[in-house]
Amino acid sequence: MAFGMVMSAAVQGLHVEMIHVEADVSNGLPMFHMVGYLSSEVKEASERVRTAIRNTGIQIPARKVVVNLAPATMRKKGSSFDLPIALAVLAALDLIPGQALEGTAVVGELGLDGRVQKVSGVLPVAAAVKEAGIRRLILPVENMAEGALTEGIEVLGAETLEQICGYLNGKEQLFFSRKEGKPEEKERFPIDFQEIRGQEMVRRAAEVAVAGGHNLLMVGPPGSGKSMIARRIPTILPPLSRGESMEITKIYSVLGLVDQEHPLKTERPFREVHHTVSRAALIGGGMIPVPGEISLAHGGVLFLDELAEFPKPVLESLRQPLEEKRIRLSRRHGNYEFPADFMLVAAMNPCACGNYPDPERCRCLPHQIQQYLGKVSQPFLDRMDLCVEVSRVSYDSLCMKSESFQIPENSETIRERICRAREIQSSRYQGETGIGSGNGFHLTNASMGIRQLEHFCRLGKEEECLMQQAYATLHLTARTYHKVLKVARTIADLEESEVVREPHLMEAIGYRGLDKKYWSR
Amino acid sequence: MDEKTRIYEYWLAGISSLSDRKKIWLQTEYKSAEAVYYIEETELCRLDILTEKDRKVLRDRRRETRKNMKETGEKLVQEGIWFLTCFDERYPKRLKKIEDPPYALYGKGRLPDEESLSAAIVGARGCTVYGERLALEYGKILAQNGVAVISGLARGIDGAGQRGALNGGGYTCGVLGCGVDICYPREHIGLYMDIQKAGGLVSEFPPGRKPFSSNFPRRNRIISGLADVVLVMEARKKSGSLITADLALEQGKDVYALPGPVNSPLSEGCNLLIRQGAGILLSPEDLLKELGIQNKRLGKKSDKNEIMLESPENIVYSCLGLYPEGMDQLAAETGLAIPELLRTLVSLQMKGLVTEVSRNYYVKTCCD
Repeated sequence: MAFGMVMSAAVQGLHVEMIHVEADVSNGLPMFHMVGYLSSEVKEASERVRTAIRNTGIQIPARKVVVNLAPATMRKKGSSFDLPIALAVLAALDLIPGQALEGTAVVGELGLDGRVQKVSGVLPVAAAVKEAGIRRLILPVENMAEGALTEGIEVLGAETLEQICGYLNGKEQLFFSRKEGKPEEKERFPIDFQEIRGQEMVRRAAEVAVAGGHNLLMVGPPGSGKSMIARRIPTILPPLSRGESMEITKIYSVLGLVDQEHPLKTERPFREVHHTVSRAALIGGGMIPVPGEISLAHGGVLFLDELAEFPKPVLESLRQPLEEKRIRLSRRHGNYEFPADFMLVAAMNPCACGNYPDPERCRCLPHQIQQYLGKVSQPFLDRMDLCVEVSRVSYDSLCMKSESFQIPENSETIRERICRAREIQSSRYQGETGIGSGNGFHLTNASMGIRQLEHFCRLGKEEECLMQQAYATLHLTARTYHKVLKVARTIADLEESEVVREPHLMEAIGYRGLDKKYWSR
Repeated sequence: MDEKTRIYEYWLAGISSLSDRKKIWLQTEYKSAEAVYYIEETELCRLDILTEKDRKVLRDRRRETRKNMKETGEKLVQEGIWFLTCFDERYPKRLKKIEDPPYALYGKGRLPDEESLSAAIVGARGCTVYGERLALEYGKILAQNGVAVISGLARGIDGAGQRGALNGGGYTCGVLGCGVDICYPREHIGLYMDIQKAGGLVSEFPPGRKPFSSNFPRRNRIISGLADVVLVMEARKKSGSLITADLALEQGKDVYALPGPVNSPLSEGCNLLIRQGAGILLSPEDLLKELGIQNKRLGKKSDKNEIMLESPENIVYSCLGLYPEGMDQLAAETGLAIPELLRTLVSLQMKGLVTEVSRNYYVKTCCD
């Protein structure tokens, strides 16, 4: 037989397309020709494949070899086609039996010595392979653990091309993936909320924010502990469900960021982004777009320190994903959608010197303060559900000198309360769909829609009266009104209260987002 | 005085590099600005008071044609700006008495009444809520009692004092450090427009002059000059407000200062003035008594404390003052847990008793 065919897969954004890799060997001028709308790294595969085959000890006869990657209308990128191309060619040369490759998908990069090297995007590929009804996946041994996360298909790891040839000829064995053992209980974090002295206000706000998945803005002077608090937020994040873990791991897999020892992400991601970040790096980009930081923070926390220092276009690009919980990138050849359901935690100074409203330290004039705040637009500020001041820590509470000093709560205690509040939410929103749900994700208080809001945050007569009064006296807008209701719902959940009551609303109003107009006097 | 001779005054007033003192001396010596314009070259060289530079400026500026000068006048009329020199009858008598009166004044609206008392309210631009609130209150009560409020339309205390005077339905005069046709700072455009209607704007600088920083110390002498007493609400140790206070003392005016906490840098200047013997501003009523005015509003003042407050609200409210207090401080003082404290503050805010000046910093809302 002069024809061979192997299934492989191409990652496009987070979506996977199954690819047929075909090879044909015929009489003619000796050449190795590759077609199928290939990017240059795929074209280079011809050299790698030929050399790898030769170094495996197989002589390619001096004949015309044509390789096609179908469908030919789709642009193919990446180095994961090396191995399927090599196998297709070997099958066409009858060096391996063609029927052995049936029902098998292959991904992997080849070294010149025939070694199989790891590739990225294995997890979504494995899921797509399963969906396409293919029962076996051969991949680099280093990616085996990651591929094995998908249940229901046979995942085989290979070290060299020679080994695969031996396997397909029935002579050798490939590595089987071991069932992943339970990850040993290690100390989860080297940091803890207990280390934060004072700052009762922010501790509470962080708890409420995490419990409902709300965005949190911390405003305060430099050195007051904004970043310290933000970095401890992962220690109180609720655990991930299996479905959520898989969803998040897929994104990391596409970018090749999976830890091969423990491929499954069991911790919620915490992504801290420096203010020099480019827009493409933040929201995702590229000709064939790859996910950016907001998608890497999917299901977890995105932390923006020094919010006012971020370039305005970068911040503004976050507005839509914050509402939609996903990002859609449009390119000439198609649209790509990445999930981006993250909790935004941001920190900023109240003015350029950072000390407003302390008259001893701050000499900024009112218009200078306005100017500084002007760096962050009001529509962006409106999307922050909770906004709190982080004040300078007094010496007494810093050194635990105060008489009334009590050892602050540790992360585990806070986390338990949060988990309970999240459980209440997931049972409440069971079966509800909205922008934040699907793919193993449940709605949270932060992501509930207007319909759910009207249903689950129904106010009593007194409460309604209170909100009416607050709307008028505190200059709420429609958006902030809804945010207040959602935050109040979370506070009620933390107290395990069925209905939202007056005190919950009052506290939520106290955390409401900033309105610059009414900021300084 | 007819327009024909007036145009020479526009001309003389427009020469910014010649000092007011010399302008006044020249016009006194030659009886009119027109005569100054026509001083012969030989005579000009004989005048000892003038430096070589002054002579050159005079010569250069004399090339201005009468048409140009007339246009300046027409423009003033068009923009509704009045013009006075210190030889005019309507020139404020208080200004004539000061050491270095401006040769000319440009203005919009009315000049302060010669008969009634006037008080200058001055202070820091970047003031605290405390200073701002009290400036508003003093401005209002003084204006209600017929005292003219003089100030510089600047950010912070100045603007607050003048806004207070307008709120009280009284007269206020803004002395500008730029041409009267320019509103500086820009965000005070509302105040600028309102003062034109209900009070007056005055400047010694010709229209179109930009707010150069060197203009402001000079205009301060007019503020204190137009006032009978000067009230300093908040001032740092080295500040323009203290310059105004010094000028006022030189001009023989009484200076009052608003006492503030000794650790507040914005009250340092005021407390220093008090140390040096300035009057102390205890309350607007007390000041009126000192000025010999019967307070028209006496007895009307209501105390908002009398509103029935639930007990945690009472505790929190009593911990608040006119300086912003943060959550941690309040929590320590009241002993309330954060969620409860926050709820109480929101409720107080909604009752209009407390204002959030910056996120999680609260002050009492003043009773005005």
